[in-house]
Amino acid sequence: MTLFWYELKMNRKAFLIWMVCLGFSCFGCLLLFEGLEESMAEMAAAYAQMGAFSAALGLDRLSVGTMEGFYATEVALMFALGSAMFAAMTGAAIVAKEEEGHTAEFLHTLPLGRGTIILWKYVALVVLILLFDICCIVWVLAGFWLAGQFPPAREFGMYHGAQFLMQLEIGSLCFLMSSCGKRKQIGAALGGAVLLYMMELMCRIVPDLEGLKYVTPYYFSNAADIFAEGRVNIGMLAVSAAVTLLCAVAAAVIYRRRDIAS
Amino acid sequence: MKENRIDAENADRTAGCKEPASGRNAIEIRNLTKSYGRQRGVREVSLCVKEGDMFGFLGPNGAGKSTTIRSMLGMLHFQKGEIRLLGMDSRRQRKEILRQVGYMPSEAMFYSSMRVKEVIRFAARARGMDCDREADRICERLSVDWEKRIGELSLGNRKKVSIVCAMQHKPKLLILDEPTSGLDPLMQEAFFSLLLEARQRGATCFLSSHVLSEVKRYCNRAAVIRAGSVILSDTVENLAKSDLRRVKVRKDGQEQAFVHNGNMRELLAWLGQMEPEDVLIEEPSLEEIFVHYYEKE
Repeated sequence: MTLFWYELKMNRKAFLIWMVCLGFSCFGCLLLFEGLEESMAEMAAAYAQMGAFSAALGLDRLSVGTMEGFYATEVALMFALGSAMFAAMTGAAIVAKEEEGHTAEFLHTLPLGRGTIILWKYVALVVLILLFDICCIVWVLAGFWLAGQFPPAREFGMYHGAQFLMQLEIGSLCFLMSSCGKRKQIGAALGGAVLLYMMELMCRIVPDLEGLKYVTPYYFSNAADIFAEGRVNIGMLAVSAAVTLLCAVAAAVIYRRRDIAS
Repeated sequence: MKENRIDAENADRTAGCKEPASGRNAIEIRNLTKSYGRQRGVREVSLCVKEGDMFGFLGPNGAGKSTTIRSMLGMLHFQKGEIRLLGMDSRRQRKEILRQVGYMPSEAMFYSSMRVKEVIRFAARARGMDCDREADRICERLSVDWEKRIGELSLGNRKKVSIVCAMQHKPKLLILDEPTSGLDPLMQEAFFSLLLEARQRGATCFLSSHVLSEVKRYCNRAAVIRAGSVILSDTVENLAKSDLRRVKVRKDGQEQAFVHNGNMRELLAWLGQMEPEDVLIEEPSLEEIFVHYYEKE
């Protein structure tokens, strides 16, 4: 438990910077909507007729001229990418930073055990992602409140639940990478988060690449799908949960067996 | 004549880990072999350290000192051999061992954003202990500033924090990897006085070092590791009683100096044939003996 609290403490700076930047951006965008509402309504029809591109962004199902549509197609896109990047960055650093910073010798000679170390680091990652989401949701709700319009609560809740699982999957993939390496692969982690997002766009535009929807966690957590259909694809959710669990278990197994260099 | 067959001649003082005549061993390493792929780590290292000993572990850079220490503490998984610390198996009882061990790494790196007091308390809490009193005492002796951030500290000051972390829980076994590097002479004195106090309390100290003078001054036993193998292990007193002799010979105005290791009769016979104008045969210092072992390949 000691390690968990210290991990939260050590990550607080990056957490605050990312949370304020992303939360404030979402908040600001929602406030902008009031001023743009009329022009957005005019552009909505044009946006909806851009073929595959409209489908990829969900503009064929939701109108960007409504607060709900604006949130699901514009703000949510920014939130999904930003939060996934935070999860990737945190996951990639949380274990490997010990060897890169030469603190592994200090940590591993305390009577904690490798299983305990990896467990509390993973718990810290999950809690950081969860807290990040909660804080961003508070920003978003503040934006809705000031704009005087709220999205449907059920869809909003489902969307953020799915987003949490998406971030957890990306965070866990990077956690696995972190537990195997001796250096923080932040670049690779951020690149991976963006690549998975690109996969989602591609599989929606190119029919031959449809299979990628099972690979990228952005697909099942897509805001436009959830707000338009009012449901989350349970099968894909299960795949995501399985990948997350597998990554966490594999990270623990590898970390317990590998040599700790310094 | 100048050829020295150290390994064969010192075979009785090398490897091997026996039960001591009195007391018990705090460290028992038997046939430890660890390699990093094709790279050599250590091979067939056997070593015993009796409870209450102050044991010096000497060797040049890359000889295998840190590999041995990291294997002892479970940071490295070794391929062959057995390590027992305080009577416990290093693989199966690692957590229990670490509870009773204080370790000071050579690099002394901590989380740079944390304050000194936070690091010290983190180490104590990880042990589930309240070590404030002992930590205060050691900090006072070493003039450690509790409030400073780790990132602001020099190597020497980080070393001091490392000493506090290693000693605050009054461990039964202290494993110290090059503990005095970076410490000024005054702090080295303070550090060794803390070690001697710990030893009086019954603790065993195992320290790897490059500094022969401190091993000679503070340790009662020592081992030399070279190219991954322990080549010598004995009391410091016995190690100093070497067959090595520093010989200086002058003949026809020319001086020749060499180190002789082996039969004295052979040396005298050789000198008799040579008929030198002057001869000086001296016992080498402990430093010279170790340097001689280091260099021998």
